[in-house]
Amino acid sequence: MPLNTIFGVLCALAIVRQRFRGRALLNAMVDLPFAVSPVVVGLALLLVYGRRDGWVGEWLAERGIQVIFSTPGMILATMFVSLPFVVREVIPVLREIGTEQEQAAATLGAGRFQTFFRVTLPAIRWGVAYGVVLTTARALGEFGAVSVVSGKISGRTETATLFVENRFQRFDLTGAYAASVVLALLALATLLAMNLAGPKKEAL
Amino acid sequence: MSIVVDSVSKRFGGFVALDDVSLEVRDGSLTALLGPSGGGKSTLLRVIAGLELPDEGSVNIGGEDATRTPPQRRNVGFVFQHYAAFKHMTVSKNVAFGLTIRRRPREEIDARVQELLELVHLDGFAHRYPSQLSGGQRQRMALARALAVQPRVLLLDEPFGALDATVRKELREWLRRLHDEVHVTTVFVTHDQEEAMEVAEQIVVLNHGRIEQMGSPRDLYERPANDFVMHFVGPVAELAGHPIRPHDMDILTEPVAGAVEAMIERVAHLGFEVRVDLTLGDGERTWAQITRAQADELELAPGTIVWLRAISDATTRPAIASGA
Repeated sequence: MPLNTIFGVLCALAIVRQRFRGRALLNAMVDLPFAVSPVVVGLALLLVYGRRDGWVGEWLAERGIQVIFSTPGMILATMFVSLPFVVREVIPVLREIGTEQEQAAATLGAGRFQTFFRVTLPAIRWGVAYGVVLTTARALGEFGAVSVVSGKISGRTETATLFVENRFQRFDLTGAYAASVVLALLALATLLAMNLAGPKKEAL
Repeated sequence: MSIVVDSVSKRFGGFVALDDVSLEVRDGSLTALLGPSGGGKSTLLRVIAGLELPDEGSVNIGGEDATRTPPQRRNVGFVFQHYAAFKHMTVSKNVAFGLTIRRRPREEIDARVQELLELVHLDGFAHRYPSQLSGGQRQRMALARALAVQPRVLLLDEPFGALDATVRKELREWLRRLHDEVHVTTVFVTHDQEEAMEVAEQIVVLNHGRIEQMGSPRDLYERPANDFVMHFVGPVAELAGHPIRPHDMDILTEPVAGAVEAMIERVAHLGFEVRVDLTLGDGERTWAQITRAQADELELAPGTIVWLRAISDATTRPAIASGA
């Protein structure tokens, strides 16, 4: 999630503020996770990082790094699936604030990083926050991609959604419902928290 | 500090924003860049500030070549038409921004901010956010922010363009007085000739990316270099196919050699001045501007036949070009 936030903001900045070849392509690529089924994403990861016949999996395995059926793989899967949220939230906000504030900061002597941290980031913070919340919500609920790469090792690589499915398959309806309720409440709580903490008077 | 712009050109794709523009701004002066929108005046200002790089030519500020200097190190104050206020900061944080970036000691910043807020008459508003200020107040805050770092030159891009007429007039006078107090070399962009005439010591008229004329407000008004300047800086009427200022016409009740016969269509009293609409013998229409006393004396009424002639020192063009 923190990785996603940084990457998402950088992506949005690149798309809105820079002019380069392939900008349109990057813009389109960002939406790819929306379009592709999560299960396909999981299989793609397996293809790249799989231990026996993945493109880089073997090389990584020799160095003791296990991606598939462990935490890194699940993080990769979740990241990919929830990537567009931050980008899509931040882009319109960046467009709306325009470049004048940044230019004003420049004429006042602020360098690139000072301008970003003192002017741009505070101005887009609600967009970023909203994106992060959506990312969290999506990450909590992610099932398809994670289910392929996790290996569903109980207690280690089993996410809440996987747990629900597992219980449901074994006719343990009570367990499945209990976990589902927890998940649903968590989702509600994140969305609620966001609305309560939303922009106040200054962000007009 | 003085500003010298030498043969600057700037293109945006196929559009030529500045075409070989050269000008000099004296140290401590107050200069207006005047022209229609798309004429290149904002681009010129942004080139001076370093917000745009010229394709050709050079910019020299205070005797140093600044053509390639990034805006951060030019030490210019820039005020934007739409204020560019930092919305997430209070008024005092906005004003302090340049000093905070320069890591000045806290006491120095506080003192300077206080001083500036007093200068722009916002001392009661230090802890408000920009969204709680009126347009005029926001622009004054932006001005204080630009002045805080003691810039070598102050650049204002249509500073009053987004404000309503009353506030504009007020701020105009106020800028004039502020300049008398602070004496920083100031260049401002405007499309309003009245604003330029009232505030500036020197006016640069820009059109299609070129300088049409440069000079004092009076020079421009009385000795315009060409038709464009004549039309842009003041009212123009036609008399026998020649452009003329409408107040440079004599209205006579008797025929005189060289005068043109005309019939009065309408007499409008606009307070001090009286506007007289006339039709000439050949059906051409024109108008004249006279004082109320003159109008009373001549007893003008619609339908009356009169004779028009240009006064002896009437503004004509092209005259002796000044400055350009």
